[in-house]
Amino acid sequence: MAREVRGSVPALPTVGAGRGKSRHGRVWVTHLALIVAILIISAPLLFALIKSTQISSDVLSPKLIPGGAFFDNLSGVWVDAKLGRYMFNSTVLAVSVTVGKTVLSLLAALAFVYFRFPLKGLAFTLVLLSLMLPTEVLIIALFDLVSQDLKWADTYAAIIVPFLASATGTFLFRQHFMNIPTSLADAARIDGCGPLLYLTRILIPMSWNTIGALAVIQFVYAWDQYIWPLVILQNDDKQVVQVGLRRLIEVGGQTDWGAVMAGAIVTMIPPLIVFTALQKQFSRGFALTEDK
Amino acid sequence: MLKPARVQNTTEAEERAVFRGTALPWVFLLPSLLILAVFVYLPALQTLRLAAYRANVILGTERFVGLANFTELLLSPAYRQVALQTFVFTLLTVTLGLLSALGLAWLASRPIRGANTYRLLLIYPYALSPAIAGTLWLFLFNPEIGLVNKILGALFDVRPRWLDTPSLAFGLVTLAAIWKGLAYNIVFYLASIQNLPGDVMEAAEIDGASGAQVFWRVAFPLLTPITFFLVFTNVISALFDSFALTDILTKGGPYTGNAGATTFLVYQLYQDGFVNFKTGAAAAQAALMLALVAFITWMQFRVGERRVHYGS
Amino acid sequence: MRNVKTILLTLALTGTATAQTTVEFWHSFGDAKRTGWIQARADEFNKANPGIKVVPSYKGSYNDSLQATILAARQNKAPALVQIFEVGSQLALDSGAFQPISSIKAVDFSDYIKPVINYYTIGGKVNSLPFNSSSPVLYFNQDLMKKAGLNPKTPPTTYGGLLKACQKIEAAKLGATCFGMSLNGWFVEQWMAQQGAPLLNNGNGRQGRATATNLDSAAAKNIFGFFKTLQANKAFTYTGKLEDWDGSDAIFTNQKTVFHITSTADIGNIRDAAKTSGFTVGVGVLPIADGTKRNGVVIGGASLWVSKSVSKAQAEGALDFALYMTNTKNMADWHKLTGYYPVRQSSIELLRKQGWFTQSPLQLVAFNQLTKTVPSPATAGGLNGAAIQTRKIIEDGLQKLLAGQSVEAALQETKARADAALNEYNANFK
Repeated sequence: MAREVRGSVPALPTVGAGRGKSRHGRVWVTHLALIVAILIISAPLLFALIKSTQISSDVLSPKLIPGGAFFDNLSGVWVDAKLGRYMFNSTVLAVSVTVGKTVLSLLAALAFVYFRFPLKGLAFTLVLLSLMLPTEVLIIALFDLVSQDLKWADTYAAIIVPFLASATGTFLFRQHFMNIPTSLADAARIDGCGPLLYLTRILIPMSWNTIGALAVIQFVYAWDQYIWPLVILQNDDKQVVQVGLRRLIEVGGQTDWGAVMAGAIVTMIPPLIVFTALQKQFSRGFALTEDK
Repeated sequence: MLKPARVQNTTEAEERAVFRGTALPWVFLLPSLLILAVFVYLPALQTLRLAAYRANVILGTERFVGLANFTELLLSPAYRQVALQTFVFTLLTVTLGLLSALGLAWLASRPIRGANTYRLLLIYPYALSPAIAGTLWLFLFNPEIGLVNKILGALFDVRPRWLDTPSLAFGLVTLAAIWKGLAYNIVFYLASIQNLPGDVMEAAEIDGASGAQVFWRVAFPLLTPITFFLVFTNVISALFDSFALTDILTKGGPYTGNAGATTFLVYQLYQDGFVNFKTGAAAAQAALMLALVAFITWMQFRVGERRVHYGS
Repeated sequence: MRNVKTILLTLALTGTATAQTTVEFWHSFGDAKRTGWIQARADEFNKANPGIKVVPSYKGSYNDSLQATILAARQNKAPALVQIFEVGSQLALDSGAFQPISSIKAVDFSDYIKPVINYYTIGGKVNSLPFNSSSPVLYFNQDLMKKAGLNPKTPPTTYGGLLKACQKIEAAKLGATCFGMSLNGWFVEQWMAQQGAPLLNNGNGRQGRATATNLDSAAAKNIFGFFKTLQANKAFTYTGKLEDWDGSDAIFTNQKTVFHITSTADIGNIRDAAKTSGFTVGVGVLPIADGTKRNGVVIGGASLWVSKSVSKAQAEGALDFALYMTNTKNMADWHKLTGYYPVRQSSIELLRKQGWFTQSPLQLVAFNQLTKTVPSPATAGGLNGAAIQTRKIIEDGLQKLLAGQSVEAALQETKARADAALNEYNANFK
C-alpha cells in the first residue's frame, strides 16, 4: 500500500511554462493515483460490504459474488442484538464527548497561547502526558473511583465525563493558534476585547477546519469505546455499540459472520454521516486568507 | 510576496502572551486539568503504586516486592525482544504512515474535479471499528481460503503463510496499522493544507517552480507544525492503540525467539494485566512505558518544537 | 391524616418490592439463539417463582466477564450467578468471590454425567454447576476420503492411522491438505487425558497446587511427535493464528483439508456448512496416540458459579434457577439447539426415547466418547490458577515445533515456561 503511495508522490504537478497539455496530463495522473489508492484503502470496506450480503458459511470463503442475505443478516442483528438501542447510546456518548472535548481544549489552548503564567510548562506537560495513560491501563482504579466514590455506575456520566479533557485537542489548537498572527490579538486587546470574546469572535471562526478535523477524530474515538462501557455499565439499556458488535463476534464459538458483517456496515453509518457533514469544514480554506 | 503580518516570527510560545491576568488562564485550564487529575492521574497513581507489589486483581493479593517487578522485566529476554519489536513497528508505522497520508492528502487537495468525493472516500474506512477491521484482515489473509492468497495463487502460484511466518506476520500487522491510521493523518493534513496561504503557493508556481519544488520547498516547511503534531500522536497511537488490531489479527504471534513476533509493549501489558491477571507486573510495565514515552516527548519537544515553523 | 396514609401506603409498596429477590446472571453467549434460549428459561422461571427475578445479561467474552465480575465483587455488586470457562476454575476458586454450590443447599448430583461433575468437584465439594460442556472429535470429508481411496466408514482412530491416511491423500493429489485444526492447548490437555496421563503434578493439581507440568512425559512426547511428523510430511495446515476456531472450521468446510478436529458443539454448524459447500461430513472419535488405552476425554466448556457476597435468598434463587435451566428437559433441549452435551444421564435417556440419535447419528460418537470415559485424576482435568497462560504457552510450543523446532527442544522450552508460570502464580499465596 505504502509503495503505491510513495510512487505517486513524484507524479505530482509539474508546472512548466506551457499550461496546455502538461496540465491535462498531470490531472489525469492525479486522478489515477487517487483512484488506485482509494481502491486499495477501501478494499477491506468493500469486502465487508460484499460479505454482509452473503450467508454466514460463505463469509470466510474467498467468494466475492454478493448474495441475497443482507436483510436476513440485518434483521437478525437489529432485533436480537439491540443494535438500534446501542447506536442511540453511542451517539449520545460520541456527540457529548466530541462537543465537550472541543470546548475544553479550545479554552485550554487559549490559556496556553495567549497568557503568560507561572507553571505553564508543567501544566502543558501534564495535559500531554495524559495521552500515555490509556483507560485500559487504569481500568481497575478508575472502576473503583467511578463506581464507589462517585456512584456513577450505570449512568451516562460514567462513560462521558472521564473522557471530556483532550490532550490531542489542546495540543492541536495550541499549534493552530500559534499559527495565527499575534497582531490580531493585539488589535483585539487594544479594542477592549477580552479573551473569551476574542475566542468566540475571532479564533473560532478562524479555526473551523481544525475543529472539523478534530471532531471527526474524536467522534470515532468515542464511537470505538469498548472495554470501559462494558465494565462500568451493568444495565444493558445504556450499553454502547461496540459491545453490541462484540456480542455478535464473541458469542462463545459459532459466530454468525454474516450477521457480524451486516452489523459492522450498519454501525458505520453514524460516523459516515459525521464525516460527510464535517468534510466541508475541514477542507475549507483558512478564514484569514479569505478575509484579507 | 509574504504579507507583513505573517513574517512576524514567534517561535517561542512564551513570547505570545497577549492577555493579562494570572487567575484567568487557570480558570480556562481548570475543567481540563480537573478531569485529567480525577480520571487520569489519580487512578494512575493508584495503578503505578502496584508496580512495587506482586499483585493479582482476581485474587485480591498484594505483597510488597520493591523493585523486583522492574528488574524481572528488564532482565527478561522476552520483554527485551518485545521492546525491540515495538521500536521497529513504531518507526515503520509512523514514517510510512505519515508519508502516505501526506502524499494522498496533497493529491486530494489539488484543484481537480471530484476532489470532495476523493477526500471522503479516503477517510471512509476510518469508520470501521478496530475489531471489525482486524477481523476483515484475518479473513483476507487466511492462507488457505483467504482472498489474497487466492489471487496470489492464481497469478503467481504462491500462497504465503501470512500469520505464522514471523517476518510476514510482522509486516502484515505493520501494514494494517498504517492502513488503520491513514484516515486520521489524512484528515489533519487535509485541514492543514487548506490552511496554507494560497497566494504564496500561487506565487511560487508563477515563479516557475516545479510541482515537486512547490511541495518540498514551500508546502512541506509550512506543514511542519501539523507534521510535528502528527509524529507525536502517531508515536503514541503506535505504542498504545495497536493492541485491538494485534489481538484479533495475530494474537501477538507467531512465537519466535522468546516472544510472539507481533507482541508489542502494550499487548504484553494487556496480556499480563487482563488475561493473565498479573496486576503488579502489568503496573510495572505501565510505569516503564510511561517513563519511556515521557522521555520521547521531552526530547521531541526540546528538539522538535524549536524547528517547527510557526506563523510562516 | 392523608400524609400518614400515603406514608403507610408507600411502606406497604416498598415492602412488596423488596420481597422480590433479583438474581443477576452474567453469561458470555452473545448470539440470539443462545441468549434467547437463556432469556426464555429465565422468563419461565420468573413466572413460576414470583418472588425471584432472574435477569440474564451478556458480559463479553469469558475473560471480560470474569474481570467484570471481580471488579463488581470489589464493590459488593457482584452478580449472583456467573458463567465461567473451565480454565478459569482454579482462579475463580482462589479468588474467594464464589461459594461452593454444594454448601448453599443439598443438591443431588447423581444424575450428572461423571466426567462432567468430576471436573467441577474440587476437594470433595461441587463448586459450580456444569452448563455448557463439550469435547473434541474428528471430523472428516467423506467425499474427499473416497476420492483418495479411503473408506469413510472406518475413519482413523489413532495418530498412526491418521498419518497413514495422509499418505494416501498426498498421493491422490486432491488439492487439499490432509489434516487441519486450530492450534489450541485444549487439545493437548485432551490428548494427555486420553493416555491417562495427568498434565500437572500433585494429582493434576487436584491434591494440592500444581507446581510443575508433565510436559517431559512420554505422553507429551507422543503428542508433539505427532505434530512433528505431520509438519515433516506437509500434512498439516491452519490459519497461522493461535486459537482460531472459526478460521480452521472454514478451511475444513471449504474443502481445503480432509480431516479436522474441533469441539462436539460444532457438529450442527459444520454439518450445515458442509451441505452448503457440497460434501458429506462424518464424525469419529478423537484419534489418540498409538498403543495407548483410550481413557476418555476431559470436559471443556463453562460452568455456573454463585457469588459469595450475595444474600442467602439471592444465592438460593441463583442456584434454583441454575438447576431449573439444567434440568432433564431443558438440557435435552439445549443440546438439540446448541450441540453442547446435555450434562445429565436422564437427558440422554430422554433424547434416546425421542429418537434423537437416529435423527442425528453424528452425535452418537460424541456421546459414547464422553460416557465411556474412565474416571481418574487425568480425565478429571488439570487445575491450575495460571491455566489461561499455560494453555497459551503450550500453543506457542506447538507453533514453534511446526516452524521447525525439534520435539525435544520444543517440549523443554514449553515445560520451562509453563512451570515458571505456575510458580509465579503460586507465589501469590506465599
